[in-house]
Amino acid sequence: MSGLDRRTLLGAAGAIGAAAGFARTVNAQMADGQTAADVDAFMREMQSIVGEDWAFWNAEALRPYDKAYIPEPSDQLHPVGAVAPRTVEEVQAIVAAANRHRQPIWPISTGKNMGYGTAVPATPGQVVLDLKRMNRILEVDPDLGTALVEPGVTYQQLKDYLEENNIPLWIDVPTVGPLASPVGNTLDRGVGYTPYGEHFFFQCGMEVVLPDGQVMRTGMGSIKGSTAWQSFKWGYGPSVDGLFTQSNYGIVTKMGMWLMPEPPAYKPFMIRHPNMEDVPAIIEAMRPLRVSNLIANCNLMMSASYQLSMFQRRDSVVPNGAPLDDASVKRAAQANGLGMWNTYFALYGTDETVAAIEPIVRQVLTASGGEVLTEHEMGDNPWFHHHATLMKGGLNLDEIGMARWRGNGGGLAWFAPVAAAKGAEAERQTVLAREILDKHGFDYTAAYAIGWRDLHHIIALLFDRSDAEEERRADTCYREMVTRFGKQGWASYRTGVNTMDLVAQQYGAVNREFNAKIKQALDPNHIIAPGKSGIA
Amino acid sequence: MIFRFIALSAVGSLCLGGVALASAQEAEEATPRAPEQVYAETCGYCHGVNVGPIIRGRNLPPVITKSFVRMGPNSMPAFRQTEITDEELDALATWLEQSEADPEERGQ
Repeated sequence: MSGLDRRTLLGAAGAIGAAAGFARTVNAQMADGQTAADVDAFMREMQSIVGEDWAFWNAEALRPYDKAYIPEPSDQLHPVGAVAPRTVEEVQAIVAAANRHRQPIWPISTGKNMGYGTAVPATPGQVVLDLKRMNRILEVDPDLGTALVEPGVTYQQLKDYLEENNIPLWIDVPTVGPLASPVGNTLDRGVGYTPYGEHFFFQCGMEVVLPDGQVMRTGMGSIKGSTAWQSFKWGYGPSVDGLFTQSNYGIVTKMGMWLMPEPPAYKPFMIRHPNMEDVPAIIEAMRPLRVSNLIANCNLMMSASYQLSMFQRRDSVVPNGAPLDDASVKRAAQANGLGMWNTYFALYGTDETVAAIEPIVRQVLTASGGEVLTEHEMGDNPWFHHHATLMKGGLNLDEIGMARWRGNGGGLAWFAPVAAAKGAEAERQTVLAREILDKHGFDYTAAYAIGWRDLHHIIALLFDRSDAEEERRADTCYREMVTRFGKQGWASYRTGVNTMDLVAQQYGAVNREFNAKIKQALDPNHIIAPGKSGIA
Repeated sequence: MIFRFIALSAVGSLCLGGVALASAQEAEEATPRAPEQVYAETCGYCHGVNVGPIIRGRNLPPVITKSFVRMGPNSMPAFRQTEITDEELDALATWLEQSEADPEERGQ
């Protein structure tokens, strides 16, 4: 029963006593041109808008807003306040006040973007606009398979609602599903694991509070009497929904989404490959199955070390301080029914369609050198169970265990470069990632997400955040990965608040200038989330 | 075998005249949730399922529980007042202190 011992409890008591120190930290770092008195005046106005209970700027109340997993050795990214509105009208009033006070605000939905920054803003001195209290499921249409939700709705809440009302629709979750929000994850262009896994593909219609306080609805949403807001994405003229993802051009207060009808047959699979060198063979085998949609969900191709890090500690695989060598990983993997690569996918449909497709995928994947395994062989293996749950929109938080892989400090930063789904590219990426991680003393705990035609290399940089030297090393390592992968043409699809500007640089000056012009036109006071995606 | 979705849609258009079974759900903070519900919806996804340490049946002092929930020590996420209200957290911390160990939970 480790993990909650006397030392941990004493540490907690120390942290309780250190609240005064925390206050000095957060109050020391205002946004440019702002003073502590300015923030105080702004927060008092926030109290008048949302009520005294929902505007926070003392140290104790701000603590949960400051929790981060990413490496940030400069220790500058802290919010100076938080405000939690309940209605769109309150959001409009907050935006108007932010313009008057020139106080930047950082919108979050549920603030659980773990390994990308949680609720922490990308520049110092911002007030978090916490939309968690806006948590209504406004509409579910069981005939069309659509939903309209507010930002504070969690995947758990949506799933509960569907089950309680006996509506045979699935949700599609990211790995922190119970706590995270469909709106937040979609706006960050996150992914899940059913055939509806590319979340922005399945978004339909938004309501946005613009920086000037106007409320705009996208797609068909501005047509009085239209029933198609959640059915037809494009409306008329420029399609603008994408402008409100990974951006700071407005505050999304409602979002439509499509939900997958529950299929009569669902069969999860795991393909076990024995060697690290099997990367290209797996991807070459999977690509035609994905492009043809014979396999319709996003496949996760998990390295053994990634899998082990979920439920085990590093020192159970190799002694403390020793490199994580392939032979040790392979031994631990085999002891747990895992290969060096473990690829998960599922078939969805009817018994007849599954029975028709299964022999084809078995033939292709066996030829790649993999063992094709199902529930019949894997039983209650916890890793198989984890993925079988995710691939039907089930909820768990198993992957939070990764933050305990290396020490107790809870350090995690996702590095996620994108390439085309070609085996040779993945092979080169794996070599480069291992070289950089080895150089800085970190482990290759990585997976590939095989999309329809793309490959996301999902590298979990795991470190001990309670060790200042290790946090600095993790920061250096992450930045080296961004820049050296970038030189090879592999840029991230998403990044943490500490590296947003660095990743934006990879995409070039013309793109940055385009983003900046839109920002200047829509938000001339730069009050909404400056720094998001490298947009000031 | 038929998709339950298809069956429901057919019935729905007969019974409801094609009108969507829509709801305007009230925001959820009006009634504080019971500690058992907060535990099941949040804590229990990690604690007792091989991710976080077991915390039931250990007489944890409420002051520690409340501090941990708000600060998120080590690898634990922090939870804000908008996620678990102060009132819910008080009840959760007391309930946890007095809770029995659950033999179904798995520690590590």
